[in-house]
Amino acid sequence: MTARERADRRAGLAFVAPAALTLVVLALYPGLWVLWLSLQQRIPIFGIARFVGLDHYAFLAGDPRFWNAARVTLVFTGASVALELVLGLAVALALQRQRVGRRLALSLLLLAWALPSVVTAKLFEWLYHPSAGLVNVLLGGRAFNWLGDPALALPGLILADVWRTMPFVALLCYARLLTIAPEVYEAARVDGAGRLATLTSVTLPLLRSILLVALLFRTLDALRAFDLMYVLTGGGPANTTETLTVYAYRSLFQTLQLGFGAAIGVVIFGLVMAIAAGYLRALRREGLAA
Amino acid sequence: MIRAASWYPGRMRWRALLVLVALAVVGCAEQRDGPGPVTLVFKHAKILGPSDPMPGLLREFERRHPGVVVRSESLTWTSDEQHQFYVINLEGASPTFDVLMLDVIWVPEFAQAGWLLDLSPWVTREELAPHFPAAVEAATWGGRVWAMPWNMNVGVVYYRADLLAKYGLRPPTTWEALAEQAERVRAGERDRRLDGVLWQGKQYEGLVCNVLEHFWGSRAELLGPDGRVLPEPHRAEAALAFMRGLVDRGLSPGWVTAGDEELTRRPFGDGHAVFLRSWPYALDLFEAPDSPVRGRVGVAALPGHLDGAGGVGATGGSHLAVNRRSRHAEAAVALVRYLASEPAERALTAAGVALYPTRMALYHDPEIVRARPTMPLFHDLMLAARPRPVTPYYLMLSTTVQPEFSAALVGVKTPRQALAQARHRLEYMLGGLR
Repeated sequence: MTARERADRRAGLAFVAPAALTLVVLALYPGLWVLWLSLQQRIPIFGIARFVGLDHYAFLAGDPRFWNAARVTLVFTGASVALELVLGLAVALALQRQRVGRRLALSLLLLAWALPSVVTAKLFEWLYHPSAGLVNVLLGGRAFNWLGDPALALPGLILADVWRTMPFVALLCYARLLTIAPEVYEAARVDGAGRLATLTSVTLPLLRSILLVALLFRTLDALRAFDLMYVLTGGGPANTTETLTVYAYRSLFQTLQLGFGAAIGVVIFGLVMAIAAGYLRALRREGLAA
Repeated sequence: MIRAASWYPGRMRWRALLVLVALAVVGCAEQRDGPGPVTLVFKHAKILGPSDPMPGLLREFERRHPGVVVRSESLTWTSDEQHQFYVINLEGASPTFDVLMLDVIWVPEFAQAGWLLDLSPWVTREELAPHFPAAVEAATWGGRVWAMPWNMNVGVVYYRADLLAKYGLRPPTTWEALAEQAERVRAGERDRRLDGVLWQGKQYEGLVCNVLEHFWGSRAELLGPDGRVLPEPHRAEAALAFMRGLVDRGLSPGWVTAGDEELTRRPFGDGHAVFLRSWPYALDLFEAPDSPVRGRVGVAALPGHLDGAGGVGATGGSHLAVNRRSRHAEAAVALVRYLASEPAERALTAAGVALYPTRMALYHDPEIVRARPTMPLFHDLMLAARPRPVTPYYLMLSTTVQPEFSAALVGVKTPRQALAQARHRLEYMLGGLR
């Protein structure tokens, strides 16, 4: 290594240092603290603070409420992300072909995305109202008990989440569509490709990478879903919409079982990291991530 | 860009951070100010109503206590967020606020945690005597006084006075009679949109209030006097089964299992229900000039159950306490006592805010009764009412039984299964603590 290279290296490290330090202070330190907390029984209001090792994890392994929350989280994530990707893609393609009022459509899409989620939740509370809500009126005046029926509450929340975040996927895809050169489509036409063939052989492959990015963001966000269920159903009825984050919140901030709540937090963290690692590997294969 | 957190837009987070930084700076500044004027910080929820009487009250307090300045700071909107705010700051031993407004159900918890200043040296039993017994019970724990009662709530039943009169019925005193009356009125009216009785069955704190009222009306308890959980399981099962039965029999619409205060208040206010279990705040809205049910609503004590006790409403409301880390304890205690004093509660009540005072005499005060003719009735209901279990474990108790009660109401579990599982879980959790 020459002197010049060494100097470059030092300068590089100096430039990276502030960011690295920020990460250590804001992510690594609290992360390790939560991990340490999860190994303790800590309920400050009763003056309880003792090391219990993996007891909380052992309890969680046999805790039906935990497994129910895990199932709800995975069903919510799988269903909402799948619907968001399919609908978002369809909307982006429709936008691309739209001639009139495209800006208006974009603004409307952004509106749903830009609303604070508590506002969205309140909005859906009334949309889903069994007698006065628009949803039931549109369904021909049927009295579906959207948020109070154990079989309908989770699908209801998934639909609300799709409404709220589908625009994110749509806008990402639409932005990518705008950058596809018209020559590509011309070439496809010259080659005699029909609409379907153009979609499957030209458009979709070009959208592939952006779809992966959208999938990554949406999955990680959905795994941590909290606000919709917290406001709309409080995790009910009968815990059928209680996600892992709601369970963690209740343990941490409502019943103040800091150690136990931290253990749930660590499980969520592990789940998110495992899925993120899988996606990052896929993205790397696409050449999108270093 | 993706948002920073799943439930807060990025900008809000920054704003919150700025506020935190500002608070920290203010906190540091206060440490240095020595003998000069004392600044008390009073944390409270925003008070809703035609006018805000708080600034006037605080200025009056400052006039009476020269050298003391009170700064009031608003809390976030929901009760859960307020609890979270207090837990973080009080556990962190933060002295950035001196006086706090808190939900009655948190008083023993905060006292047990050592976060509140023991008010017993200042506040005597005599000073508490003019307040409703249920409010006093909720403000004391372990024989000490931890808070001053400030405002109060009680579960009541609203009924459509015009409809009951039409069928020659009188407000029911048992739930069984209520169900029968609702059935008769609905059969007579033949209005498909008219529901029998609305109540709060969503999985949240309100559900616990509703279930407790049915328990008490059946002589069942959630927490016995000896600290045992659900000491009369059979009566409790019957009460839960009755609630589920209201839905099964079509007297309550299926959606009450997702109903909170506002979701149930509105249909009744639009004239779509015969009975509603709710809180006193709803009456002002039913009597508003543009209300479809104006002049047609009556309010009564909650019914009891056949073979049970008379109806008892659950109380709620908020109290005032002093942060144990406050650097100006004397001044803070003075502020708490002033705000709970007769003139201050009177001023709050007279301003027409949606809060009811804890001082019993105000409910028969001619001036106040003239503006709010239902005050004497609410007096009787609050006098008969009970607080939810006064224990530091209350939130653990409540959040553990909520999903079980909900499961019984939506029919996922039988009342027996739900209560057995609630009991099992509670005994496990509380067993580790006591």
